[in-house]
Amino acid sequence: MRAAPLILILLLSLLPQPPARAVTLPGWLRFIKFPAGAEKNVPRPAQKRVRVADFTGGTGTSAQQALVAELTAARQFSLSQDDPDFTVSGSSVGGRVSARILNRAGKEIFDRTYAAPGLDENLKSLADDLIYAITGKPGLATSRITFVSDKSGVKQIYLCDPNGREVQQITHHSHGAVSPTLAPDGSAVAYTSYRSGFPVVQLLDLGLGWERTVTDTPGSSFGAAYSPDGQRMAVVMSFLGNPEIFVTDLTTNTAACISDTIGAPCSPAWHPDGKRVIFADDRGDGPRLYIAEVPSRSDQEAKLLRWRAGYSFCTDPEFSPEGDSVAFTARTGGSTAVIIKGWPTGPTRVLQTGGAEHPSWSPNGRQVCYTQHGTLYIHDLHTGQRRAILSGHGQITEPRWMK
Amino acid sequence: MKSLPPRLVLSCLCALSALHLSSCGTLTGLVAEPESDIVYALGSREGFSSPLQSALKPACPALEFAGVRFTLTGAHEKVLTSLAAAWPETKPRYLIVGYAPPGLPEDYARTLSERRAQAVRQRLIESGVEAANLQTVGYGHDSAPSSPNTSVVVIYRQ
Repeated sequence: MRAAPLILILLLSLLPQPPARAVTLPGWLRFIKFPAGAEKNVPRPAQKRVRVADFTGGTGTSAQQALVAELTAARQFSLSQDDPDFTVSGSSVGGRVSARILNRAGKEIFDRTYAAPGLDENLKSLADDLIYAITGKPGLATSRITFVSDKSGVKQIYLCDPNGREVQQITHHSHGAVSPTLAPDGSAVAYTSYRSGFPVVQLLDLGLGWERTVTDTPGSSFGAAYSPDGQRMAVVMSFLGNPEIFVTDLTTNTAACISDTIGAPCSPAWHPDGKRVIFADDRGDGPRLYIAEVPSRSDQEAKLLRWRAGYSFCTDPEFSPEGDSVAFTARTGGSTAVIIKGWPTGPTRVLQTGGAEHPSWSPNGRQVCYTQHGTLYIHDLHTGQRRAILSGHGQITEPRWMK
Repeated sequence: MKSLPPRLVLSCLCALSALHLSSCGTLTGLVAEPESDIVYALGSREGFSSPLQSALKPACPALEFAGVRFTLTGAHEKVLTSLAAAWPETKPRYLIVGYAPPGLPEDYARTLSERRAQAVRQRLIESGVEAANLQTVGYGHDSAPSSPNTSVVVIYRQ
């Protein structure tokens, strides 16, 4: 009996100790199952009623009709002539558009003029601004989706609008370009270029056309992801002798490692608060999801957290714009599926099976785009309906929606 | 020589155990670290040619990997040991290129192929090849090797 404490201590000391910085969620947080379709029963706030009054001027009628079409497609509020909460009126001459919004009390809350060269471009900007002024959430008309396609015979980066129109090839590298991501304001795209024969992360300003190299280190560089403020970028680099996730400051060109792994990390994505990065890491048992809390000071170390998503093969995670859900690719039953799960805990929703992969949230968090067998889809999370927005354009992969 | 009192021995053991447990945040545990935990940073890539830009000759048969594994097998070790044994004669430079099959998600395929290439590089360094003569790159399935199996690491002589 006297030796019992001694034996206990010896046994305790023989237990293998876990890595110092690896923190896992407690077991009781892992799987909270919600009944199927529970999310459909959540009451939604009543939609605002908006009246689009006649537009004056030479192109006023066309402008009004096109604006109604944009707002109808956006489905952010109901368009009604009776008892409106907001009234939109304006004028359009020669493609230039002026508009203002009055609330129910007759107070003006918005008055802007759009003078871009085309009427369509002006109306898309107006529609997005109206939606933001009334709902507080961004519209999608001016948003862009970037993706990779091998239509030209080599993988190149393309852009399109959320309807799959206005497709534009933005890279023409002889050895291809992959892994694109759009800046939060849509002004630039970062991607991995094979121009030199080796993977290098480059940044292309879409407005001015200039290009610059973000990382050109030995080994591989890929998986760039802009921080929400557009000032930093998370990227995978392997110059240390192992692939690691780095956060690089785009203004100072300095980088700090946040992953601390001997595995194979990939596909980093930022939380909207700019303080966390989620990524997949294969430490020998398939890719799982991890969170790195990005330190605010250079003398601090990143804190790592394993997030149990409920699947043993998870890649391409992306936080929703609200930061309360994560969409990711999981392998189930021999093929990939797009999954959405509440963060840090919440219900799991299998959005699409049968080879769907690489989800990316719309700026308003209402839709998710992904690819399936080379076709680009948009899936409405409220209605559950999806539509193919771009097919027959080569093999489309790696879509990313502007945030 | 008098034996130490049992209470003193017990106290010493308790103190040692407490010291060990309190410092477990920095100790790596009682299990020996695998050799692969020691990683060697890559040197400059200057002067290395890419297989995308020119036809390069493989220095040995392609190393095939099963599934999504990135650890080396006995067959890999055998090939690498013989390659490392022949290296001191002419001290060639090698570009170690990882590829992955098309069925994997793109970004994961890139990191997996790079991780496999790094594992091969590690073993060559441990077998005596100078680190400065070895570069790695992982193409995932953005580029295909000449071999029919796409889940491979190919070592190209520069």
